[in-house]
Amino acid sequence: MMSSAGRPTSPAPQPPLTSPSVSSTPTHTIGCDRLFQGAILTPSRWCAIMGGLSLAAILLALVCLQLGTQYIGLGRIAQLVASSFFGLSGDQETLDTTGVILLQVRLPRMFLGFVVGVCLASVGVALQALLRNPLADPYVLGVSSGAALGVAVAVLFGIGTTLLALSALPLCGFLGGLLALLVVYRMAVTYDRLPIHSVLLAGVILNAIFSALIMFITSIMEPNRSFGMMAWLMGSLQAPAFPALAALSIYLFVGLVLLFKQVRVLNILALGEEPARSLGIETERTKRFIFLISALLTGAVVSVSGMIGFIGMVIPHAVRLMVGADHRLLLPASALVGGMFLMAADTIARTAFVPSEVPVGIITALAGGPFFVYLLVWRKDRLA
Amino acid sequence: MRVSSSGFFQALGIFYLRAARTLCFRPFVITLVGIVWYAFLLCSTGALGDSPEDPTVMKRRQQGILTGMPFMANITPRTFVDDAGRKLYVAKVPSRVVSLAPSITEMLFALGLDEQIVGVTEFCDFPAAASTKPKVGYANPNLESLLALRPDMVIAPREFSRANILAKLDELKVPVFLIEASSLENIFSHIHQLGRIFDRSTSAHAVTLAMRRRMAEISSLVEPLPRRRVLYVLNSRPLITVGPGSYIHQMIGLAGGVNIASEASAPYPRLEMETVLKENPEVIIFPMGSVETVPRSEQQEWRRWTTLSAVQQQHLREVSADALNRPGPRVMEGLAQLARVIHPEAFPSDTAPLRP
Repeated sequence: MMSSAGRPTSPAPQPPLTSPSVSSTPTHTIGCDRLFQGAILTPSRWCAIMGGLSLAAILLALVCLQLGTQYIGLGRIAQLVASSFFGLSGDQETLDTTGVILLQVRLPRMFLGFVVGVCLASVGVALQALLRNPLADPYVLGVSSGAALGVAVAVLFGIGTTLLALSALPLCGFLGGLLALLVVYRMAVTYDRLPIHSVLLAGVILNAIFSALIMFITSIMEPNRSFGMMAWLMGSLQAPAFPALAALSIYLFVGLVLLFKQVRVLNILALGEEPARSLGIETERTKRFIFLISALLTGAVVSVSGMIGFIGMVIPHAVRLMVGADHRLLLPASALVGGMFLMAADTIARTAFVPSEVPVGIITALAGGPFFVYLLVWRKDRLA
Repeated sequence: MRVSSSGFFQALGIFYLRAARTLCFRPFVITLVGIVWYAFLLCSTGALGDSPEDPTVMKRRQQGILTGMPFMANITPRTFVDDAGRKLYVAKVPSRVVSLAPSITEMLFALGLDEQIVGVTEFCDFPAAASTKPKVGYANPNLESLLALRPDMVIAPREFSRANILAKLDELKVPVFLIEASSLENIFSHIHQLGRIFDRSTSAHAVTLAMRRRMAEISSLVEPLPRRRVLYVLNSRPLITVGPGSYIHQMIGLAGGVNIASEASAPYPRLEMETVLKENPEVIIFPMGSVETVPRSEQQEWRRWTTLSAVQQQHLREVSADALNRPGPRVMEGLAQLARVIHPEAFPSDTAPLRP
């Protein structure tokens, strides 16, 4: 699951470092050392890690693409992709069932999984830097439960209209997420400043309120509909129709680009308020901006795929343990790893109990938890 | 602290720590008081010997108006075993009954028990008389309003009965009869059981006979026709359908269809789109209730799967969710609807609700 970009093959237990120094060189196999935390970020190191991760992502995608209700070999995949994307017979009418399954179900679903993973992991990184709190993730701010509440309300009132190729449910979820953001923001703004702990606290309180409201709504719904609602809350990556998927992707892409442009600022913000301000960064405005983007990304992702937890909090941690805390590398690497992780988890969710499927959130927690524990226990030396 | 002897403290000359020894009996006293208090509670509630926290275990003690002699329970015809395996000895016919599910309300009304029904859920809207009855909630029935109705019998669906409420009712000697429908035969036997409890066996027989007649009638119409592959969409996103272990799955078979989720391991499995495309259903059925369960826009979304024969032949059909999702006397109407949408050619007299 992890990158092939040279994790040390035998993590020998380390004597604890007496003085935490930033560029201490551990006594691992020399070749891999420069890739990992502790080494100074150089363009070549960046390229090596990102290149390795990208390669791993492509390989993983090829593996996942073959697996499903029916196995589709690489040759057949190449043939299908070539004929539909590059051939003249781009008609859906000429595709057989295998072709439809591959190109219209499996590929969009994997794509959605990857994008959702990328967004959740990136937002996790941003929020952890912003709040300087290892527990921060998209869910702590209550944005996700806000979005879920929006969807629950829409389902309760049976809103079934479509707007701009987006069905009403994602839209309502999105509005709910925005509402949550505004409320958190209003609650947390005191004296025109944004103290970190009050944001977290506001998020926790909102989470509680929204969860209660969601439970209330599901408890007064008709049993069949509350059943579907609960299933949706557990998270599923059933891809929407192409126009909606395209709209969502463009939207998320823009958000991600805006977020990725902030890497240097994140580096400085991670040092603390005062250093950042003395370095001439308008902390309040920047924080507000990153905060807003994070909330919008999360709202959109939650509205389309339900609540998939775990990725926003754990993937950034895991990647930080691997590559260090420099956001210029940490943010893109986390994004890739998050995307890969969710794609692989969803493949398991799709294939483990054919013909049924499992909520993907269960798989992410079961697969990621032990891995995180391994990182913490075996690679303590990496905790800077 | 490995230290337990005061000798250690004395050796260290720390006198005040020796006082801590005098406090040592306090935990014992507290524990003792706790044990006594717990024993008192146990005796006072008479809970010794049965476990109120597990409603599914067989009960020896009989409750409520049912309290006859315990040994009577095993020999009289007035003993009933519900779907949770609990034995109820009903000495006399209950005169105030509360129903905790729409399907149960419909069964009771079908047996002509209008007078005896004193409470229903907020989803009980059929027959019309049901909506005038007092409401006690559904998934979380309100215990106080339930008790205020002074029921001498509560009929509840097994899946929605909460263990704590059940335990409380047992403790208060209010008999609860739990039922669960996982097949059509269950529905018939429920009606018969209720008929025996309320001394309405004759009407129960009449009701089930009419139902079986209707069932045979429908089956005979669709029997000679080729079976069609059916997808029943309970929920579109995520896609949830019915599988083996649900009576709707059985009804699809009776209506001349083959459920494409027959392989699934759960009564209400999540299904993957890949499976749907591979199985290629010829009819896709959307249950529609008073409120839209599957919004029409989502039904439109199904049209993009152009390889499905159901889409090619325009076989996206709606059925009434109320008739199908309530395992009660109206279930045959649901079966008729299913048969109509799966085999419209078998019902030339009336046109099936076909959506353009």
